[in-house]
Amino acid sequence: MNLRRDHVGGAAFILIGALVLSMSDDLPFGTLASPGAGMMPKLVIAAMIAFGLILLARARASPALAAIAWDDFPHAVRLIAITAACVAVYSWLGFIITMSLLLFGLTFLVERKPIVSAALFSVGVTGFAYGLFRVALKSPLPQGVLWF
Amino acid sequence: MEATLDSLALGFSVAFRPDVLLYAFLGCMVGTLVGILPGIGPLAGISILLPVTFGLDATKAIVMLAGIYYGSQYGGSTTSILMRIPGEAASVMTCIDGYAMAQKGRAGAALSIAAVGSFVAGTFGVVMLTLVAPPLAGLALRFGPPEYTALLVLGLVLLAYMSSTSLVPTLLMAAAGLLLGCIGIDVMSGHFRYSFDIKELGDGIGIVPVAVGLFGLGEILSTPSGTVTQKVVSPRLRELLPNSNEWRLSALPIARGSVLGFFVGIVPGSAHIIASFLSYAVEKRVSRTPEAFGHGAVAGVAGPESANNSASTGAFVPMLALGLPTGPVTAVLMAALLIHGIPPGPQLVSEHPDVFWGFIASMYVGNLMLLALNLPLVGLFVSVLRIPYAYLYPLIVMFCIIGVYEVSHAIVDVWIMLIMGAVGYLLRKFDFDPAPLVLGLVIAPTFELSLRQSLVMSGGDWLIFFQRPIAVTLLALCAGLLALAVVALLRKDWRGRLARAQAGGEEA
Repeated sequence: MNLRRDHVGGAAFILIGALVLSMSDDLPFGTLASPGAGMMPKLVIAAMIAFGLILLARARASPALAAIAWDDFPHAVRLIAITAACVAVYSWLGFIITMSLLLFGLTFLVERKPIVSAALFSVGVTGFAYGLFRVALKSPLPQGVLWF
Repeated sequence: MEATLDSLALGFSVAFRPDVLLYAFLGCMVGTLVGILPGIGPLAGISILLPVTFGLDATKAIVMLAGIYYGSQYGGSTTSILMRIPGEAASVMTCIDGYAMAQKGRAGAALSIAAVGSFVAGTFGVVMLTLVAPPLAGLALRFGPPEYTALLVLGLVLLAYMSSTSLVPTLLMAAAGLLLGCIGIDVMSGHFRYSFDIKELGDGIGIVPVAVGLFGLGEILSTPSGTVTQKVVSPRLRELLPNSNEWRLSALPIARGSVLGFFVGIVPGSAHIIASFLSYAVEKRVSRTPEAFGHGAVAGVAGPESANNSASTGAFVPMLALGLPTGPVTAVLMAALLIHGIPPGPQLVSEHPDVFWGFIASMYVGNLMLLALNLPLVGLFVSVLRIPYAYLYPLIVMFCIIGVYEVSHAIVDVWIMLIMGAVGYLLRKFDFDPAPLVLGLVIAPTFELSLRQSLVMSGGDWLIFFQRPIAVTLLALCAGLLALAVVALLRKDWRGRLARAQAGGEEA
């Protein structure tokens, strides 16, 4: 059998539905006259699984799975990895250090820009954003261990 | 009518306040930039800038955010005409003939026609909004929980019917959004649902992290800098005026696009995208020279540009009058009003007339501002397009993080945005439209509450939805649309053509 795009899409939603349903044991469905906290989620999960099954059944009309272009995948993974690392230390290191690192990581490590221009860009833009949000708009930004 | 004019006068007294004018101007300016820059649509732009409005009062906040929305419809045409890259999705159709006109040395004329068409259509849309929204809100005051349940079901069905992708994936996405909307404390019983002992999830998942992740970050993840073309045709100021023949050829398409766009805009779904597609198809059908389409036809720019602007104004009718979002952008605008303590819906006109009429009046002013901004400053906007994308997208990622964090100062929201960015990337790969997911998330609390209230009211009798005239009419409409959708599934219709045009910008 040729695996099609909607085979994977449909199956993924059925699995998600089944997983969420298994986590819904503690939510009472209630009765029609007195609906419980579990009624809406369980109805929606049932609908999701039903639509997933329809998608799966009609998957033969969708393009082959191999036809999906993944040439942007390395870019996406690098971007997510750098951003996730920065989010993880955002509260601890504070706005200025984290955002400088984020911008430097994306311009130097992902985009391979010259180190000096990447560094100047990162520090300059972070300084501008700090001035705009913290100083001008008085928005509370995370201060971190070094108080900025 | 007299009461409407009096209320509009109140609105203008609010809209002409210097501080409100300033925020309308800022919204229009930022919206134009958002529309111009490929990769940031109006939704991402509004979501990112939503936290900036927290310190403002509700009128200024909504005036600025709406300015970003309709400003982006103006700005989207610039990249379409000069670079053949749609700045935002509704400008796809403008790429075809707009870029062809630019190749013939008529870039300035195409930009002028797009700007004037957008102005006429935007103003027509606001006039219609002024006339239609208040009586509709009056009718909606008679709605109880069963009517609201039926209305929200109709909204979801309309969304699925009008979506550019097929029916099943759209409903699947809406169901996923409704399920996400169930996270948090159940308001009727106090149960914690799917919050995994994370206290921030007790309040549910916010719209902003989901919208910014799916649309802002998701777009950036699937756009490596190597794929972004930055060859820009820059028109000179003296080349901006169309000749008399071009004006003549654009007059009727602008009029048709304005009317068509407004009525399509009222319907939930990707209205402004569908409106521009339908307008292009209509213009090609009524043209005496259909063979000119795809090779620089003036009507191919004037019609779609007018239609998408009129549709973006039409989308405000159900939002303001019924409290029903017709798409993710209006959903985020509704969230902005709620954050400021103002529930959109039928009570908005009577309880907050300054916000309602001030907002409408500011749209008249905003359309004038956009006309004044877009033509003389086209050179400035074009220069923004010369910023290398390799430097631009890190900046956008930073603003996404700041914007999401500023909503509730919770790092959990930033993680949700990042996860949603990855989800948005995968959804694009598997050809799922993320917009219904955001809509499902927005309407989930109201939908659940009105459904459960209806059942409690009737002692568990489902027939309550068929015993009330408004509810049964709305449900009959749902049944009719579902039947039409099933027929459409069996044959190729406009959705397929729209999807192909969005994918490749090819001739419809």
